[in-house]
Amino acid sequence: MIDYVSALSIDFGLIVPEITVLVTSFVVMMLACSKKVSSWSSTVTLVGYVLALWFTTRQWGHQGSGFADMVTCDNFGIVFKAIFIVASIIVVFLGHRYLRVKGLHRGEYYALMLVSTLGMMVMANSSDLIVLFLGLEIMSVPLYVMAGMYRRSLESNEAGIKYFFMGAFSTAFLLLGIAFIFGASGTTNLRSIVTDFSYIANSFPVYLYAGVALILIGFGFKVGTVPFHTWVPDVYQGAPTPVTAFFSVAPKAAGFAALLRVFVYGFSEVTILSDVFWVLAVLTMTVGNLLALRQDNVKRMLAYSSISHAGYILVALVVGGADAVAAAIFYLVAYTMFNLGGFGVVTLLETRSGCKSEFNELRGLSKTNPYLTATLALFMFALSGFPPTVGFIGKFYIFSAAMQSGFVWLTVIGVMNSFVSVYYYLRVIKTSFFDEAEGTPVPAVLSPTIIIALVITAVGTLGLGLFPQQLLQLSQAAIFGMP
Amino acid sequence: MLEVIIISSIKVLTVVIVVLTCCAYSTLLERKLVAYMQHRLGPIYAGPWGLLQPIADAIKLMFKEDLVPDRVERTLYTLAPILSFVPSLLVFAVVPFSSDFTLFGYDVTGVISDLNIGVLWVFMITGFGVYGVVLAGWSSGSKWSLLGGIRSSAQMISYELSYGLSIVGVILLANTLSMTEIVGQQDSIFSWYIFRQPLGFILFFTCAVAETNRAPFDMAEAESELVGGYHTEYSSMRFASFFVGEYANMLAASAVAATLFLGGWQGPLLPPIVWMMLKVFFGMFIFIWLRGTLPRFRYDQLMNFGWKVLFPLALLNTMVTGLIVMLTNGTN
Amino acid sequence: MSEYLAVLLFAVAGIGIVLITFGISRLLRPHNPYPEKNVTYECAEETVGPSWIQFNNRFYIFALIFVIFDVEAIFLFPWAVAFGQLGLFALVEVTLFLMILFFGLFYAWKKGVLKWV
Repeated sequence: MIDYVSALSIDFGLIVPEITVLVTSFVVMMLACSKKVSSWSSTVTLVGYVLALWFTTRQWGHQGSGFADMVTCDNFGIVFKAIFIVASIIVVFLGHRYLRVKGLHRGEYYALMLVSTLGMMVMANSSDLIVLFLGLEIMSVPLYVMAGMYRRSLESNEAGIKYFFMGAFSTAFLLLGIAFIFGASGTTNLRSIVTDFSYIANSFPVYLYAGVALILIGFGFKVGTVPFHTWVPDVYQGAPTPVTAFFSVAPKAAGFAALLRVFVYGFSEVTILSDVFWVLAVLTMTVGNLLALRQDNVKRMLAYSSISHAGYILVALVVGGADAVAAAIFYLVAYTMFNLGGFGVVTLLETRSGCKSEFNELRGLSKTNPYLTATLALFMFALSGFPPTVGFIGKFYIFSAAMQSGFVWLTVIGVMNSFVSVYYYLRVIKTSFFDEAEGTPVPAVLSPTIIIALVITAVGTLGLGLFPQQLLQLSQAAIFGMP
Repeated sequence: MLEVIIISSIKVLTVVIVVLTCCAYSTLLERKLVAYMQHRLGPIYAGPWGLLQPIADAIKLMFKEDLVPDRVERTLYTLAPILSFVPSLLVFAVVPFSSDFTLFGYDVTGVISDLNIGVLWVFMITGFGVYGVVLAGWSSGSKWSLLGGIRSSAQMISYELSYGLSIVGVILLANTLSMTEIVGQQDSIFSWYIFRQPLGFILFFTCAVAETNRAPFDMAEAESELVGGYHTEYSSMRFASFFVGEYANMLAASAVAATLFLGGWQGPLLPPIVWMMLKVFFGMFIFIWLRGTLPRFRYDQLMNFGWKVLFPLALLNTMVTGLIVMLTNGTN
Repeated sequence: MSEYLAVLLFAVAGIGIVLITFGISRLLRPHNPYPEKNVTYECAEETVGPSWIQFNNRFYIFALIFVIFDVEAIFLFPWAVAFGQLGLFALVEVTLFLMILFFGLFYAWKKGVLKWV
């Protein structure tokens, strides 16, 4: 008998949260087979997510690697896994009523979301490029289906197809990049790449740089950095709104987890990367903000705004190092809260019949739903980075990390971009508070689930803004656990 | 090296000729057997018991005009019969037909090529069969052909799954993919794998019938609804190669079944090659017997049977065999 | 290597046989086409419309399911060969693997994908 269990260090303890999510997705899929029990699927999904979150928090502080060194369990991955799960839980609450109104409330939606979350968790945990790729695929394929789930809507179909083609295309780039790296180094393991880096860089510089560039392009597509952002607005606008909320947060966080792991840990010695990221960050935030100014659709505006936020997070990749990674994690948590909140309000408004999230549909909202409008205003302030919301603190940490490393111009451009973005975020507030509606406005009907989602995100946005210390310590402790 | 090539070439030619002759006489066997099952006489005029009938048929097909309708896709239309016939022949490359023997002072192995992935080779080559069918159906430019081709390709891929899975049980027991070694392990009649894999054998043979598009699974060429199926527009030698291909496929399936389940050339008293022939023609007899007995499936029944009965059974067979192998290994 | 050489010889012989018989037949058979003869067969009627017609889209779904399970079957072969050396853990893992895929089949079954008519 070959004792390959210990030879490959197969250790299922490392992936208990992943297994939980996987099993839940199967249970939900089986529930979806029967009409009678399919309405339980949201509850089962929540239970699965909460269990997975609990298992994830139990892993905190543990370090280990297994499965032939392809999976690494470290605080960095654990924080990201927690982000994915929390974001998914909020999305489950946030989408429940919308899906019922639009006739999309099916078990498949939740099963796909669970599988996608599983992929993200695999990505965050991987210390091998192939496992990273595997996680990326597990994450992406359900997302394509989710984007096109609203089959009666042409925009949703367009979103699904567009996202599928762009996603498949970018995955090909990524895989080719991995192949080049493998050609140069003979391994796909990040740890071995770091160990042998000087040898690889001296022997096969062309393959190495080609590989790094292709991997960067692949992830660039996924997180929507600027030359590769063209799919973002159409997909965000076309997909069902809860799905858009999910898109704007969870896969983006997963993409950044992979970017940080690969480029800050793996290829930290490729010095030119800092300049490349500099250009990408500046382009991403500037183009995202400038295009957001011109939008008349709130969802489309939020899509461009999410591009610009990706630009702010890219600043952390320019800087590199532990402080920048901590700042990026902090920003991603913050972004998860206020962006999901913003999309939550949009989702709620879209449950009114015939609502397409145009700006002029917001008119007179403060008359019919004053509290909701106030919450919307809070999220918009957070998105534009006003104190005392967490949006301010997040930007502050990112830019102070950049300043400390001497990236003055980058900081200046970033802060100027923040000022530009104030215009379109405040336009939402202005329209909803001060513009008179044509005819009698229809009030949005609140449901318990969406109230839960909005309360979680609002408390997160405000609470983390007032008391950021805990989260900051947490993100500073979220270091790579690979020697 | 040269010696190896010469020996191989002689073996290859012998096998090709023997297989083609067997194909030809299988048609006669089928006509005779079906005739007796239906209280008829079958071919009686060409030679004693109609023994010259296959040759007459071959000559007739040779002299027929080759009709190529205007609407066909020329390249694929030409390629399809070849793709249907050659793979069915290639299966025999890994089938051991005899024990090793000495001829004119040279040691000769009883198999053309003892690939260590023999079983995989069989399934790879069998998988090619579907290309011939689907290309013929598509390139003929006829509605009958298209429907027949699509139908039978769907049928073939559906049954291919259970076909492949049904012999995983044998591989679990044999621990090898080499056909020669699998035959070597069945040296006494009670070690034939059919006794340890009865369900596997039944599944395998059922799927083989479906894979070769034979009755009761002959949806592809259901005369009453699809005229000739995918070979409606074929004539002359092109038609003949589909026809011979079908019989070569049946022979190949019987030979693989004999090798994997019935001990191959192993057997008492008679020389190995005779045992092999007997087992192969036993398989052919079952093929013909099924045709003479069972009515054709309806298409939905056929697909249901494949996906909802055979496939779960094949999976079950695999898992149960795995469990038993593990338990018996543990006691040793 | 000589094993594969033999297979190659066999393939050459197989294709050769086809070509030879086709060649002989070409020399022997008559060749007398005319437009009516070369019309696509449609039960002696005039051919109507294009030949590449729509067909049931279930065929595509079956093809998709087939791809998944064919890959599964391919993974089972190496497992079966090495099973004697692997033991219980391998059996459990393969059972899980099969279960995961079987869930997919079960789902398709329940959703009526496998149903004709």
